[in-house]
Amino acid sequence: MHAFRFDPVKLPADAPAFRTEIREFLARELPSVPAEHRANCWAVFDAAFSRKLGARGWIGMVWPKEYGGHERTALERYVLLEELLAAGAPVGAHWIADRQSGPNLLRFGSAQQRRKYLPGMARGEILCCIGMSEPGAGSDLAAVRTRAEKLPDGRWRINGQKIWTSNAQHSQLMIALVRTRALDEKNRHAGLSQFLIELRTPGIRIQPIVDLVGHPGFNEVFFDDVLVGPDCLLGVEGEGWQQVTSELSLERSGPERYLSSFALFLELVRLAGRVDSEVLRHAVGRLTAELWTLRQMSLSVAGQLAAGEDPMLAAAIVKDLGNSFEQALPTLVQSLLGADIRLEDDSDLARTLALLLQTSPSFSLRGGTREILRGIVARGLGLR
Amino acid sequence: MSDQRQLLADSVTRLFESHDRQHNFWDEIEALGIADLLVAEAHGGSGADWDDACAVLQASGHRQVALPLAEAMIARMLTSNAGLQLPRSTISIAPDAAGTLGRDGRSWKFSGVLQSVPWGRDVARVVTTLSFEGQTQVVVLAVADANLHKRTNLAGEPRDDLHFENTAVLAAQSSCREAQHLFYYAALARTAQIAGALQSALERSIAYALERKQFGRTIGQFQVVQQQLALFGAETAAATCASRSAAIAASAGDASFEIAAAKLRANQAIGVATATAHQVHGAIGFTWEYALRHATQRLWSWRSEYGNDRYWSEQLGRTVIARGADDFWLYLTGAGAE
Repeated sequence: MHAFRFDPVKLPADAPAFRTEIREFLARELPSVPAEHRANCWAVFDAAFSRKLGARGWIGMVWPKEYGGHERTALERYVLLEELLAAGAPVGAHWIADRQSGPNLLRFGSAQQRRKYLPGMARGEILCCIGMSEPGAGSDLAAVRTRAEKLPDGRWRINGQKIWTSNAQHSQLMIALVRTRALDEKNRHAGLSQFLIELRTPGIRIQPIVDLVGHPGFNEVFFDDVLVGPDCLLGVEGEGWQQVTSELSLERSGPERYLSSFALFLELVRLAGRVDSEVLRHAVGRLTAELWTLRQMSLSVAGQLAAGEDPMLAAAIVKDLGNSFEQALPTLVQSLLGADIRLEDDSDLARTLALLLQTSPSFSLRGGTREILRGIVARGLGLR
Repeated sequence: MSDQRQLLADSVTRLFESHDRQHNFWDEIEALGIADLLVAEAHGGSGADWDDACAVLQASGHRQVALPLAEAMIARMLTSNAGLQLPRSTISIAPDAAGTLGRDGRSWKFSGVLQSVPWGRDVARVVTTLSFEGQTQVVVLAVADANLHKRTNLAGEPRDDLHFENTAVLAAQSSCREAQHLFYYAALARTAQIAGALQSALERSIAYALERKQFGRTIGQFQVVQQQLALFGAETAAATCASRSAAIAASAGDASFEIAAAKLRANQAIGVATATAHQVHGAIGFTWEYALRHATQRLWSWRSEYGNDRYWSEQLGRTVIARGADDFWLYLTGAGAE
């Protein structure tokens, strides 16, 4: 069972004081947010709020000061994230830069690339998106076909298409996974590279895709003879796959993987406070046990990441269980409501439920499908 | 995992695995001092905390050790904390005694029932806690004085009912947390055992899936089987993490919230885990001879022991609702390791 490491982590002694500081900030900056906007709040875009967080030093908290960071600890950052998510703060604008693009740049970027982008990201001014999925490459990411071709003058010419790119329409920068060599069926993970692409570069066209609730959240991004300089290659040419997979533990174990429906849980607690019902009490009890456990697991992975480990298996488990929890919550709440509460009511409970019923199916798709995650876990268990 | 805790877990695992499951090797447990882990050093024990104790209990659940080890650990801690001097003997606990404690001069009497006492028939004494004039008393009863009705749980572990009628008992007042909330700490111990049994059922299921061939390949090569086992693995991880987190909380102070959450979460894992273990094993897992049942029968029983899902859902639900939605997050983050 060596594969299952979830050693508990001790948060810094000053964590309670930091929580208080965050709560006071939120009380001031976000006096009233409707409940349905607090749900799935890391997908809620608010550039002005992100700049406020940046000014406060709460984006890129753990990054080196020379790149605009604040050199706080990974566990302090964890405390910040969970406080923001639990409060339902609209953190979608900078979320990708803080979680993924920034750490990726710190790990693989040149000093010049870091200087160019990280301080702006930390201020909440440079917003990022992830260019991974393509029409023919969803879970099978190695099937990406977007090509970057090296020109004699050292520049790269990029052609192809990305899809399901959240916030591309608002972002300045995309980190894209593209092929720099033709697909070798015997070694499908070879020949991929990551590029830092400024989205205002000529030849890029961004077209919104409206999701099933009517939000223009994600996009198609087309690359038509896009010319970028040699300094846009991130890391090593041909090692894009290794670079991308190293991001995934960061992407999969954070508190956003189980708190997306937290706003609805709170509405359920409020309902159970108004209606004396054993069924509601027991639902609150079970969900509380699950939430507490998921938090312990997620914290443990944060501790392992902070210690410089790559807990890929543990991160996959947190995401799988976390997504299942935040996904089951809306249907459970729906099943528990009395006949006096309608889905179309204009109440916090009904609006939050209605939104999450429709958006929660995406929770086990984004960032790696349930099936892919369980494949990773099965591999960790020695089954493949 | 701390080095010391790991060493302890490794050494008890070696001991447990060197014996047949049904074999009585209590003398060796005593020789190693495992049953006195939670007894303070000043009283001749190891002065270990709940995290260490739960590491041992997880290992015992993993091996399905059929001895009242969890019970003895708790019983000896309670009696030594209460200042009760007892001759060395096998001992169990009864966290939910129904009856009355009375005082007759300097001696104590008890009438009532201790239900489902683990290994009641096999031990010399049973420890329970009862309230007397507003104070918690740790009470020690001799099994020889009881009218004993034998019962066993699904795994064949004794869970006997002991009836006492105006029986002389030992009692001493105790303000230690374990005495005030014995049921919680019994649940904490079971939760650690559940985590161990889940891991053992998972390991057995993986090994079987890698060995059993159908349609010309091992069944573990089928994605549908892999996905089921992956979920089983995740549930086992959740129960294990919950158990460990509660044990650490119990070592630090009041852990009533954490223990309730951990027992409930472990209970929830049992449903998926036992169903998947048996589904993967097919008919062989359903036989008396095959060892899977030792884990699954215990899991089915332990889910009901010291609080089933309904019990702990009610406890947690009431607590959370009484505090209200606005304080929930504050409470959750304050109740943890901070």
